Amino acid sequence: MDTFIQLTLNGLTLGSVYALIALGYSLVYGILKLLNFAHGDVFMVGTFIGFGALQLLGGTTNPVVPAWALLALITLAAMAGCAVLGVVIERFAYRPLRDAPRIAPLISALGVSFFIAYSMQLLFGSELRSYDMFSLSGGALYTDGFDIGNVRVPMIRIITILAAFVMMILLWLLVTRTRVGKAMRATSFDREAAAMMGIDIDKVIVFAFVLGSALAGAAGVLFALRIPTYATIGFLIGLKGFTAAVIGGIGSIPGAMAGGLVLGFAESYAQGYISTRWSDLLVFILLILFLVFRPQGILGKADIRKV
Amino acid sequence: MKRRGGIMLASAVTVAASLASTAGAGSNAVASSQAINCNSKLKIAIVAPFTGGAGFLGNEQLSWAKYAVKTLSSKYGLKIKLVTGDTPVEQGPAIAQTIAQKFIADKTVVAVLGPSTSGNVAASSQAFFQAGLAHISPSATRTSLTKGASKEATSAFFRVVPGDYIQGPTDANFMIKQGAKNVVLFDFQEPYSQGLASAAETVLKAKGVTTTRQSVANTVTDFSSFVTKVPSSADFVFFPTQKPADAQNFAQQLLEQGKKAKVFGGDGSNDASAFKVPGSFVSNFAPDISGFAYNKSIIAGWQKDNPKDTLGSFGPPAYLSTQVALNAIKKACDAGKGQIKDRRDVVRNVKKIVVKNSILGGDFRFSTKSNDPLNAKFYIFQIQSNGSYKLVG
Repeated sequence: MDTFIQLTLNGLTLGSVYALIALGYSLVYGILKLLNFAHGDVFMVGTFIGFGALQLLGGTTNPVVPAWALLALITLAAMAGCAVLGVVIERFAYRPLRDAPRIAPLISALGVSFFIAYSMQLLFGSELRSYDMFSLSGGALYTDGFDIGNVRVPMIRIITILAAFVMMILLWLLVTRTRVGKAMRATSFDREAAAMMGIDIDKVIVFAFVLGSALAGAAGVLFALRIPTYATIGFLIGLKGFTAAVIGGIGSIPGAMAGGLVLGFAESYAQGYISTRWSDLLVFILLILFLVFRPQGILGKADIRKV
Repeated sequence: MKRRGGIMLASAVTVAASLASTAGAGSNAVASSQAINCNSKLKIAIVAPFTGGAGFLGNEQLSWAKYAVKTLSSKYGLKIKLVTGDTPVEQGPAIAQTIAQKFIADKTVVAVLGPSTSGNVAASSQAFFQAGLAHISPSATRTSLTKGASKEATSAFFRVVPGDYIQGPTDANFMIKQGAKNVVLFDFQEPYSQGLASAAETVLKAKGVTTTRQSVANTVTDFSSFVTKVPSSADFVFFPTQKPADAQNFAQQLLEQGKKAKVFGGDGSNDASAFKVPGSFVSNFAPDISGFAYNKSIIAGWQKDNPKDTLGSFGPPAYLSTQVALNAIKKACDAGKGQIKDRRDVVRNVKKIVVKNSILGGDFRFSTKSNDPLNAKFYIFQIQSNGSYKLVG
């Protein structure tokens, strides 16, 4: 039972991060019908911005602000930096191809992905970079927390899971309860009709990139709190975020959240009960099964067309 | 229609994955037997990871190789230029093949220091052999490079440190001495860790210790689920990664999940700046060289050139590798009356080299049975509460 609880906790932590990444894929796909394969690299840049901000604030051994402020500031820095990066990517890599055949922006997305990853490697090297949260507050993030049976739920996991869920709820409120959210939904439903109703489509698209990229930045920091990062980490993590979006139903915000969690649990249970060696294989088999048998995902709607 | 869309998405993923996995591989070069004038500037290449997760290792080796070239070349009457080839461990062995071809094509390269990692030696040794280039590694320890029925390295490969056939049993016996009854051993689906874990596992099993093997892809950085599978009764986790930050992360995640097992890293995690969870262990092929009085001036000279660096255990073997290479080049030059007629002349002389009072302690010479050092051993260090490494075995 303890193993099951621990694997569930592992899956929840991982799934929360996947869900934040999947939201970025879904937001952009929902509006532009574009698979933004550079999204995983935006996530990676977020981990690096968080690392840089952490060093500027004195690191974990001599922080110049309290621990909670340190965590908040590095997360905000990563969100802001990634939002700017998202805007730049949209402006220079996707906007010129908006009316091109769908394969063109897809190839452009792959190009941007490799450009970002290898530029970062060239600039900062390919070393693993650890936030070293173990040194913050005498290791309290690892030792404090609460127990479920014999399983410890440490503070660092609580922070990761709570922060991810708070951001998902805020996004949900933004999309469903605000004017800009209504504009996003309208654009997603029918771009041309939305434009005719006076919605500034360019602004909506840019806003979707800002939101999605900021969430990727936050996901980057939450991920790197526990796990070292490096310049090419974004590709695989991005593919998993994309998988989560597809499983949940690409274009659906609740679907992205559900897909992230399903993928996190699937990966964790596969590692725990089937094989640690083949867990990535199992994850991508899951993707293929969904694409073939339920392409609309868990919460996506079937594409019914008038013939 | 939607199903077709799904298949298109799957194809896009496949294309993306394929693009990511492409890696260059050089073509075979043909050796030349043009004579090289020993009075001209000769090159020694060092092939090591200078960037990436094991970048600390290559840079430490480079600083010592530079120091050896600077201080020893003139003693042998040689003019040597050190050239570098970067092999980040994340890029796998393919990069070593490409770099090998580059140095093979340069006829003024007369010896190679490295490759530093076992996988890269296995990937490039055949090419170096065909070109007649001696490659002397300061850190590649996989047993099958020099021993066994299907040796992975050629007779042009030499190493100045002992192999995992010594490290694995040394580590296993140390764990047994510490009272280990249950040990979990990891490998990272690459030859270095697989060989080392197997060597340790064989000894542990033979002495009645319960063992469990886990295999992790080299790209994994979140070990949560692997840690979950470590039984609470485990005394040690043998974790022979080549990325010390991973060993640190794994040890932290063990603590996070309340597991009492201690992490035992191999020589690849021996980096006090990255792996510092107190109570953990690492093994290494070099002792603390400051314990040998005759090394005092060498260490002082190196520290003068590298004031920001601390004395580690990967660098001194690179100094010894360079010393062996310089000696062999000198002998080849003497035999050729001021010329190296063929780079194979250097290879032929490496095996004969004896270094009195070597930097690693005692006299150094190669075994007559293999291209391994004679009478070498591994040392074990424990990480202290202040993060320092203390020699314990």
